[in-house]
Amino acid sequence: MSDSADTPTEESFEPTEPNTGEEFEPVQVFPDEGTMDLRPGADSCTKCSTCDTNCPVAEVDDEFPGPKFQGPEQWRLKQTDDGDEFAIDDSIMDCSNCMRCDDACPSGVPLSQMHNEARGEYVDEQMSKLSTEYWRNRILANYRTSAWLASKVPRIANVAMNFGPARWVMEKTLGVTSEREFPAFATETFSEWWAAQGGAAGSRERARDARERRGEPLDADKKVAYFHGCYSEYNTPEVARALVRVYEHFGYEIVVPEQGCSGTPMFANGMLDDARRHAEVNVSSMADLVEEGYDAIASCTSCSLALRQEYPELFDIDGIEDVAENTFESIEYLRIHEDVRGALQDAEIEDELAEEFAYHAPCHARNQGLERQAVELFRDLDGVAVEDVGDSCSGISGTYGWKDEKYEKSMAIGEEMFDHMEDVESTTGMTECPTCSMQMEHGTGYDIRHPIELVAAALVE
Amino acid sequence: MASTPRIVVVGGGSTGAGVARDLAMRGADVTLVEQGNLTHGTTGRMHGLLHSGGRYAVSDQKSARECIEENRVLRDIASHCVEMTGGMFVKRPEDSDSYFEEKLQGCADCDIPAEVISGERAREREPHLATDVDKAISVPDGAVDPFRLVVANAASAQEHGARIETHSKVTDLLVESGEIVGVEVEHGAKSGDRVHGVQSGRETIRADHVVNATGAWAGRIGDMADLDVAVRPSKGVMTIMNVRQVDTVINRCRPKGDADIIVPHETTAILGTTDEEVEDPEDYPEEQWEVDQMIETLSELVPMLADARSIRSFWGVRPLYEPPEVGSEDPTDITRDYFLLDHEERDGLPGMTTIVGGKFTTYRMMGEEIADHVVSKFGMDADCRTADVSLPGSEEFSVLRDYMDEFGLRSPIGRRSVERLGSRAEEVLGTGEPNPVLCNCEGVTRAEVRDAISQAGADLNGTRIRTRASMGNCQGGFCIHRLAGELHPEFDEATVRDSWDDLLQERWKGQRHALWGNQLQQAMINYALHATTQNRDHDPATQPVDFAAFDSGPGSDRRLGSDTVGEAADGD
Amino acid sequence: MAIDSEVLVVGGGLAGVTSAVAAARAGADVRLVSYKQSSLRQASGLIDVLGYVGDEVVVDPYDAIPELHEDHPYRLVGVETVRDAMALFDETVDGYHGDHTETNALLPTHGGTVKPTARYPAGAAEGVASDDRDTLLVGFERLVDFDAPLAASHVEAAGAPFSADGVTITFPGDLQADAKVTRYAKLLDQNSPVAVDGQKVDTRTALAERVAPHLDGHERVGFPAVLGDDHTDAVRATLAEELGVAVFEVPMGPPSLPGLRLEDRLFEALDRSGARYEVGNPVVDYEGEDRIERVVVERNGSRVPYSADQYVLATGGLVSKGVESDREGVREPIFDCHVPHPEDRYDWFEDGVFDDHAFARFGVDVGSDLRPRAAGGSVEFENLRAAGATIGGYDFAAEKSGSGVSIATGYAAGRAATEDLT
Repeated sequence: MSDSADTPTEESFEPTEPNTGEEFEPVQVFPDEGTMDLRPGADSCTKCSTCDTNCPVAEVDDEFPGPKFQGPEQWRLKQTDDGDEFAIDDSIMDCSNCMRCDDACPSGVPLSQMHNEARGEYVDEQMSKLSTEYWRNRILANYRTSAWLASKVPRIANVAMNFGPARWVMEKTLGVTSEREFPAFATETFSEWWAAQGGAAGSRERARDARERRGEPLDADKKVAYFHGCYSEYNTPEVARALVRVYEHFGYEIVVPEQGCSGTPMFANGMLDDARRHAEVNVSSMADLVEEGYDAIASCTSCSLALRQEYPELFDIDGIEDVAENTFESIEYLRIHEDVRGALQDAEIEDELAEEFAYHAPCHARNQGLERQAVELFRDLDGVAVEDVGDSCSGISGTYGWKDEKYEKSMAIGEEMFDHMEDVESTTGMTECPTCSMQMEHGTGYDIRHPIELVAAALVE
Repeated sequence: MASTPRIVVVGGGSTGAGVARDLAMRGADVTLVEQGNLTHGTTGRMHGLLHSGGRYAVSDQKSARECIEENRVLRDIASHCVEMTGGMFVKRPEDSDSYFEEKLQGCADCDIPAEVISGERAREREPHLATDVDKAISVPDGAVDPFRLVVANAASAQEHGARIETHSKVTDLLVESGEIVGVEVEHGAKSGDRVHGVQSGRETIRADHVVNATGAWAGRIGDMADLDVAVRPSKGVMTIMNVRQVDTVINRCRPKGDADIIVPHETTAILGTTDEEVEDPEDYPEEQWEVDQMIETLSELVPMLADARSIRSFWGVRPLYEPPEVGSEDPTDITRDYFLLDHEERDGLPGMTTIVGGKFTTYRMMGEEIADHVVSKFGMDADCRTADVSLPGSEEFSVLRDYMDEFGLRSPIGRRSVERLGSRAEEVLGTGEPNPVLCNCEGVTRAEVRDAISQAGADLNGTRIRTRASMGNCQGGFCIHRLAGELHPEFDEATVRDSWDDLLQERWKGQRHALWGNQLQQAMINYALHATTQNRDHDPATQPVDFAAFDSGPGSDRRLGSDTVGEAADGD
Repeated sequence: MAIDSEVLVVGGGLAGVTSAVAAARAGADVRLVSYKQSSLRQASGLIDVLGYVGDEVVVDPYDAIPELHEDHPYRLVGVETVRDAMALFDETVDGYHGDHTETNALLPTHGGTVKPTARYPAGAAEGVASDDRDTLLVGFERLVDFDAPLAASHVEAAGAPFSADGVTITFPGDLQADAKVTRYAKLLDQNSPVAVDGQKVDTRTALAERVAPHLDGHERVGFPAVLGDDHTDAVRATLAEELGVAVFEVPMGPPSLPGLRLEDRLFEALDRSGARYEVGNPVVDYEGEDRIERVVVERNGSRVPYSADQYVLATGGLVSKGVESDREGVREPIFDCHVPHPEDRYDWFEDGVFDDHAFARFGVDVGSDLRPRAAGGSVEFENLRAAGATIGGYDFAAEKSGSGVSIATGYAAGRAATEDLT
């Protein structure tokens, strides 16, 4: 056997980029406006079916043909002249967009991109714009709009949205399940609180104080732009407030730029035009800040995933790649830049949070490689125990579990997680994702917290 | 003439099947014999181009005219085998302008609808085309599935009373009193093959006339009666890409040369080709440079080909023929026209006609000419009807439908399946039985496979060419065992295992030429699955093992050959 | 700053997890990073150590190791290390049998034949082929990867010392034609009621009822490997109880439930060992000359440094893209360690599908210290070791040695990395 001759010398050495797939630039070849050619993505598929064995929907619903079919197979079999009513199989609407397949694929098939594009095409071309399903999905996907309205009159909204007869009507006319309770709206939104704290100017001052206390240079380049998402804004501002306290504690100046919905619920419902409108707002405000040296952080793992992965996969907006490269989940960012692990090893929790947490890693956190973050970070924190409740999906997948016809599937998927939660001593859960937390609460009645709240309790309070 | 003439057609490629259909429709008593599967020779090894005639519009206008004429006929009679993709002759900056003009003029001369479009418009149509393509000529090229077309011709011939014998090799021509009066045939010896017709043994088939339609093998048949048929076989490589990079046939607009065509074919794109004369149509080198040249040269037209996944390459042998007096040196100079050699006229040996040369697109026309020639010998006055009567499968049907409602199939699977089956879709798919997908790459279901097995018997290769099962990106890695399962229990385990191994080997043959990047990864996965999990490489059914020497399980008292252990335990 | 640990293992398959567990148990602060999921999920879940040397079947792998060529990974680490490594596997990974003997077992697989292996999941134990109990294999009409009647004939043709019959039944609950294996497993795990003749019956009972009429004196029943995921022991136990005979699974894949379960057991062992791990982002680069100072993990375009004192490369071979190729050559993509291969691409393979292919042996070249070596034989990096299928020079598929080499070299690399901590 003769060895290949051209072994690079140390000087010329450049490690080869591992083949992570997704090398091609998709272009439009199908006749439908906006549908990209993702057939070349099927080149990476080896049929190993790892995606299928990770699909929580296929596990409870044998009518769902699974992600390998929805992704590389459907795309490879797709034809350019199929701009007809049967081009995309309608099972695409049963995909919950948990993206576990995308995260699982050992060969770099762009599964979530394939699913998102196919779903977008299906909704555009094959779904009746007069159907109840379309409008129900559109209303659910545009949660931000409803939440914004509700936040104007939070107390009334909290009563009205969960008013029995109203829910009965919603289920019968719109197909929104009446099994679930709408989340409560906070009486003070995060933005209102933030303004009262003096906004960015106030944050700069507090951050400088913290640097002084920490013995860091006063002009240290520590500034982040916070993407709080809809849920921390309207429903759980305590998560956002905890984040602010933690970041300022480490000497970071925070700005809270103009922002819309991340688009996550819109991707999941194939409403790509709606998602693009919001993405344009978000990218435009974030791109300017990134250029000024800010990094973007999000406390909701679906929001961070949208900004760092789905945006560049689906849209072509100025600055979108820069935003994606500089977006992080909030605790992930601290782990990279600060010695949080060390700080937590020295800390202790004594107050009401001193207990055992049933932690669920959201699928979208998993996709970013963050599934073990909370468990490992709090391993050495005295006063608490964080128990991983297993690697199953919670089953709600944003708007999915709110749909009347999907409710039972959603609960069947969640069953494994509920069982494992019940095994944990206390009645407190923990997760990064707002809709997973709804599901955890709905399935067990537990009170659910965000890890950043625990970091705040350990280090700031 | 009083009795029906008995005709033996030798060769189950497009020409043979076309002649057989034609003669059978005119009322002759036809037997077709083929040494392998239908399409075993050159027909099964071509790029699937349905010529518009554009490729010959400058160099060979007679062929070009025939092509456009037959192109129209096939779209009509073989709609389920044809995809009208359209084609383009694209010109790069370094390609000659005057040749571009000649090509355009040639198309006009031959009545080939042609239109010049700008580089920009060409890229709108095919976005992956190189950005420096200047301009293009748009022509009505298409893609055709040669397997399906030949199978449909054979099926039609059978419907008209013909006997089709595959895996039946002609071992000799019967010559009696200075006349060819039939063929000696050896039928496929593989156990359990339920191919068309007789399974094994030798047979003498007497005939009033023999048609030698064996293409590159025509010289071999001729030799059996000391006839000199100087076919000049010329090999060409075809490289198959995993997905379609283009949906239109892309031809390079330059005089002649290798690696100048990309044909979108079903789920794939096929790159072609080379043109090299070979001695032996069954034994010639298949070389790396040929594959590399396809990818490198054609990525000048479609740059993404350079890094795209290829799943296999195959070679075909053109049955080129020219009258000996022409004496072309270079095979690319040999005409693509066909020649009908009446051995009575030519060699003074009546009873056989040989057809050589020609091309796939005009197979029907060739068939018609031979059939005319043959029936004239017997004074029959039946007219050719092959251009007017649709092939089985191409009768009226609609591709676009609600597959889930009708057949319980997912959209793209249902559509691909209905396209393959054409008007037979209801008959094959509407079984009401559970119908799982067996080949996920190509979307082939159990019902379609079972239908193919009912035609092809235990030969899984025959099932493959009918259904495309195992022809996608995993090259059978994940479906061959499933296909084998469908043979059982109709065929016994040993036959099934044989057929399974044959298809594994057949798939390997072509894949060897694509072993880098994704396809090498796939090959390793397939190898790991087949050797590690399925132990196909050391199957104890063929390499016996001593079961008693191995572990009989934890805490087991069942160790073989030591039954005293159990008794002792009882005794205590 | 960089995310720091003492030992950083790159790769989350059998070799990577074993080396992380070995290092953590030896006292190191270990982090494992893995890009996406490993090929464990595609494999049968059987732990092969050595099944064939050439065309000779191996009864005792430890006896046969000295017959391998001297650069084989087993020879490099030595027989005793292989034993120790297997002992670590037996101690840390739950649910496996075979450690009561050094003799291989022959296990029937979904291809229908039997194969030699050293450890097998509890679920497969009753299916061991050197056992003369008559066997009924059960397949499901819509589960296309296992044809029970064909497998039964095949295993008889292989000369097994028992009579085998196969039957194909419809899985209760009328699952759709293309239901995934995980759907079957979930139904059995949850023992959900399914409709049978208008009645609601628990899945396990309903399945047993469908099989019972075919029992006909058979002493054990083999099913395709879909008998539950999280509660597979309970599923088997219920079926065995209701059928009154032993029940086992016939390994299949990909996709492979036994492979999935093995992955779960390994990661539980990893968690128990105290090692940290993360899955989802690739290592794409490194810094350092003779010594690796840190590696770079890419997270959606942002490059995050991870530093450690010692590194283990366990990214797998061609299957897992730990070794990559193009038309020009073959390489290891992260550190560009030398991968010996014939210069001519047409020498990478042979003409017969199961011939002795060069590509099956592609991987980095290591010495007995498992440090990857450059073309001239010099060590590439003093603090980098390779483990598992990333190592070249052996054909795991032909030898049936993949799992054993991963465990042995993973163990050796993890221990050596810990010993070398500065």
